Amino acid sequence: MSDEGRFGQYGGSFIPEILFNSQQDLLSAYREAMADPEFKAEMLAQMQQYSGRPTPLTPCPNLSQQLGGAQIYLKREDLNHSGAHKMNNVIGQGLLAKRMGKKRVIAETGAGQHGVASALVSARLGLECTVYMGAHDIERQYPNVFWMKQLGATVVPVTTGAATLKDALDEAMRDWSSSFNDTHYLIGTSCGCAPYPEMVAGFQSIIGEEVLSQAPEVLGRQPDKIYACVGGGSNACGIFLPYKGTTTELVGVEAGGIGDGVGEHAMRFNTDQARFGIAQGYATEFLQDEQGQLLPTQSISAGLDYVGVSPILADMVKRNELRMTAARDEAVLDAFKRLATTEGIIAALESSHAVAAAIAEAPKLSRDEKLVVNLSGRGDKDLFNIASALKDAPFNDFLADYLAREKQA
Amino acid sequence: MSTLQTYIKTQRESRPILLMTHVIYGYPTIKDSLEIMETLLREGTDILEVQFPFSDPVADGPTITNACHVALENAPTLRQCLADINALATRYPDSKVVLMSYLNPMLQFGFEALADTAAPAISGLIIPDLPIEQASFVEPLKAADIAPIWLTIPQMDSARLAQTLSAASGMLYCVSRSGVTGGATAFDAVTDNLDTLKQQTSVPLGVGFGISKPEHITALIGHADIAIVGSALLNAYNEAGLTQLVTRFKSLQTATR
Repeated sequence: MSDEGRFGQYGGSFIPEILFNSQQDLLSAYREAMADPEFKAEMLAQMQQYSGRPTPLTPCPNLSQQLGGAQIYLKREDLNHSGAHKMNNVIGQGLLAKRMGKKRVIAETGAGQHGVASALVSARLGLECTVYMGAHDIERQYPNVFWMKQLGATVVPVTTGAATLKDALDEAMRDWSSSFNDTHYLIGTSCGCAPYPEMVAGFQSIIGEEVLSQAPEVLGRQPDKIYACVGGGSNACGIFLPYKGTTTELVGVEAGGIGDGVGEHAMRFNTDQARFGIAQGYATEFLQDEQGQLLPTQSISAGLDYVGVSPILADMVKRNELRMTAARDEAVLDAFKRLATTEGIIAALESSHAVAAAIAEAPKLSRDEKLVVNLSGRGDKDLFNIASALKDAPFNDFLADYLAREKQA
Repeated sequence: MSTLQTYIKTQRESRPILLMTHVIYGYPTIKDSLEIMETLLREGTDILEVQFPFSDPVADGPTITNACHVALENAPTLRQCLADINALATRYPDSKVVLMSYLNPMLQFGFEALADTAAPAISGLIIPDLPIEQASFVEPLKAADIAPIWLTIPQMDSARLAQTLSAASGMLYCVSRSGVTGGATAFDAVTDNLDTLKQQTSVPLGVGFGISKPEHITALIGHADIAIVGSALLNAYNEAGLTQLVTRFKSLQTATR
């Protein structure tokens, strides 16, 4: 990476001038912190004692047997405190915010996992926390909003634009433009202006580092392929980066949504609807129209419903270091059910994209091959969406009864 | 010296301060926005700032952001926007028009194409998410006499300010305070900053963010060359249409005579 935070033609820093000084402060604070062994030790201790790291590498003998091809293993980021890999990043940035003397953090969130993780770490570190969340996402993920509020965070609904993650990010940047003196902007994915892509990917790299050291014992060697779902790209960066330059093939899985039409998916690769652009503080492949307006996206999983992608991953694709594929909503639900019934693991819909790609490819591979899937989060948060997608009628009865009881009380 | 800068210097010989007003192309409809532009030009705005809407305007506050999203429903194209401005500008040669947008719509159109299409109707370009170290993006505009209008902020690092001043032509857009467009500003703190800036450059100083009343403009006389009004006129239009916008404009204009 160059000094400008560039990854090939991607990345960089394209922010309103008013944010320049705070961005420079953040850059130098991050460099100082990463050169300080005490900071790194504190971060590791929090990751172990608070979030439960290291997370295990779990073999899936039943699923692999059923597919009749490659052996599948899961990196269990769902077992982090908060139920997703998002915890790794918020511990790093939360401690950095404290070190910089900030009193408040702001965060944007899509599925709400990063919002909950930010609220958790803020409560623990004594930071005030405001979370921007698209009004549309709040409707889809209210349980996470409920938990953020219980943790003492303020959740601000964003109604502008498509009212999803990209709009929440815009609104958080507007807040930061006036609040930078006492506020750290805790970006949840490896996107945005420098140093965020590098910093978030760096804090998440513990995922891949653990796999590197766990694989010899659990797999008997390093994996042939690693799969990770790609929204903004933080869990993918986390598991992929330590494997850069090795013989392991890296496979990113985007949200295929319901179709290939405009607004039906969130694929930034393998579609002519996305191309090089500069917005939201950085350069990457953006889904955009002819006029350069960012396009609406769709996915069954709010966490993958994003119009841009980490500049680190965009550059890796360009250099053929990363293969990008996609899974449609239907295949994702099948993968979710299959993993639950064969291995007793309830995966997040985001992570189920990566599982779906592994399920699609494993049967074509030999039994000697070994695949690792990054199970970035657990599916408890998706209870309502999955019940709805599976058309579980008793669940609706339960909700109707619950509402009736609450109204009487 | 760029046409924009020459124009400002000449006007300033007989006027204490100039007025720059802001209109979003396509809001509430393309036709209405052209009518607003024409009205402001007819009423004698010195500089008309036309914003080409972008889906993710991070430097703008709620008033302009919402208006941009409404404007995008009308599917505006930059090519038509420039053609419409060109037709308008030729009828009002006593005013200047500058274009404002975000980097991505300009980048997708291409800066070479922009230089070919935007001149001579457009004499300046404001891009709030283009940092000074990326000045090479707007290099093609110079040959077409379109001045890149750089932004300065309070508490700007001195080396960065020097870099900005040396690249400046046409005018500077001095952001009065932190935050986004719209909302209140304390102008007494702003003038000290402007006086320091004035000693370091001969490029005219425009001040924006939070100017909504004649007394705000009066407070800037002697410290700045141009008062930039955005959200205030848009709010007036949203309250009671074009009549209210003209009333608000006239009351602001009085402070510049």
